[in-house]
Amino acid sequence: MEAKKTATAGSLESSDVLVTISPAAGSAVELKIESIVIKQFGKRIRSVTEEVVAASGTKGVSVHVQDRGALECTLRARLETAIARAAEPA
Amino acid sequence: MGGESFGWEERILEGSGEFAARKRLLELRGLSVPGEEDVVLGLFDDDGLVATGSLVGSVLEGIAVADAYEGEGAAVAVVSSLIKRAVEGGRKQLFLFTKASEASRFEAMGFSFIVSTGSQGVALLEWGMEGIAFWLKALKTRTEGKPHGAAAVVVNCNPFTLGHRKLIEYAASKAPWLYVLVVEEDRSLFPFGVRVELVRQGIADLPNVTVLEGGPYVISSATFPTYFIRPGEKNGDEADRAVEFHAALDLALFRRHIAPALHVTDRFVGTEPYCATTSTYNRIMKEILTAKDGGGEPLRVHEMPRFEKEGAPVSASKVRELIKRSDMDAAKALVPPTTWAWLISPEAVPVLERIKKSDSRH
Repeated sequence: MEAKKTATAGSLESSDVLVTISPAAGSAVELKIESIVIKQFGKRIRSVTEEVVAASGTKGVSVHVQDRGALECTLRARLETAIARAAEPA
Repeated sequence: MGGESFGWEERILEGSGEFAARKRLLELRGLSVPGEEDVVLGLFDDDGLVATGSLVGSVLEGIAVADAYEGEGAAVAVVSSLIKRAVEGGRKQLFLFTKASEASRFEAMGFSFIVSTGSQGVALLEWGMEGIAFWLKALKTRTEGKPHGAAAVVVNCNPFTLGHRKLIEYAASKAPWLYVLVVEEDRSLFPFGVRVELVRQGIADLPNVTVLEGGPYVISSATFPTYFIRPGEKNGDEADRAVEFHAALDLALFRRHIAPALHVTDRFVGTEPYCATTSTYNRIMKEILTAKDGGGEPLRVHEMPRFEKEGAPVSASKVRELIKRSDMDAAKALVPPTTWAWLISPEAVPVLERIKKSDSRH
């Protein structure tokens, strides 16, 4: 998929995560991960994010993950939704 | 989605009753009603308004929660929704002003702290993928290898006049290097692209000057919204206080972030004979930049008397006034040949027309 516009999914509420996807120049995937549990789960959040983005085939995007202690299934769902929304025509 | 799980209804305010409820809620929190909002949001339950927040351009303002609902996640629901709506509207970066004592609450909501004017003062926070660190890094790639102990001027140049030229010439003669930061916000009568190009042309002969775009962190609608408001748009006292705290934040940001990144130790500024906002800004500049305990190294501020021609200070507002009166010969005397060449070019026609119709301060 290709990101055509900036889109978000999720929220900043406790136990949720806000994912923001924006088109970026080139074919790289830029990640910015913030979490209230970055010390414990930062690596896992990053690898799940990389995996979901790679599985969607999206390139040339920036992915901003602001985690408020979401479960992994929540993170995956938010990522997939944000990617799908970003791929909709602007 | 957030609020719904608590049984709150989240929607855009409608009707004078809801706006009156919002005004009461803001006043209870000691906040003023923002004005010029793009989005005014409310969370409601059966008893009425639970929380409110609004979006003014890229700035989140007027966020307040009713007493009975504190600590139940209403504020974060409002903030999340405002972010989402702003992103849908094409924004990538958002800003928020708050009391410095409340900054950590918004940091917990995903905002990053930029600067404050002390623990009793106000704070500026931002949200987005590319924050101030990213912007400063980009700036640094263009200023690498330039001498330390440099000077800076911040100018709008609406348009570039002989007054700007004299200030820049003087500052460049006193410092090993000079950065001219041009206000990037496109809310002036001369578009940013034209303003910055006329600055570049007007100083092209000075070997130790670099012209930089001010971006979102130098007198922008994020750091200094009141700069772009015409006098009289807000009540006198309230507007003055807002100008003072916006000016203080803008200057604290300059001192804490921009000056160290550019290795700037001196700031030059022209005296301001006409505009009350700019003269307030200049006064606060001296306070904030030179204070010994303001964080980081203090700077030196040099205020230059305005360059005068035939007994009257040369200023861009004077040039615009002359254009408005179609007195082009008098305008010509106040600008360098580079600016004049543009003013009589076909490209200038729509801008000159706009000036003739406008009563804008900038």
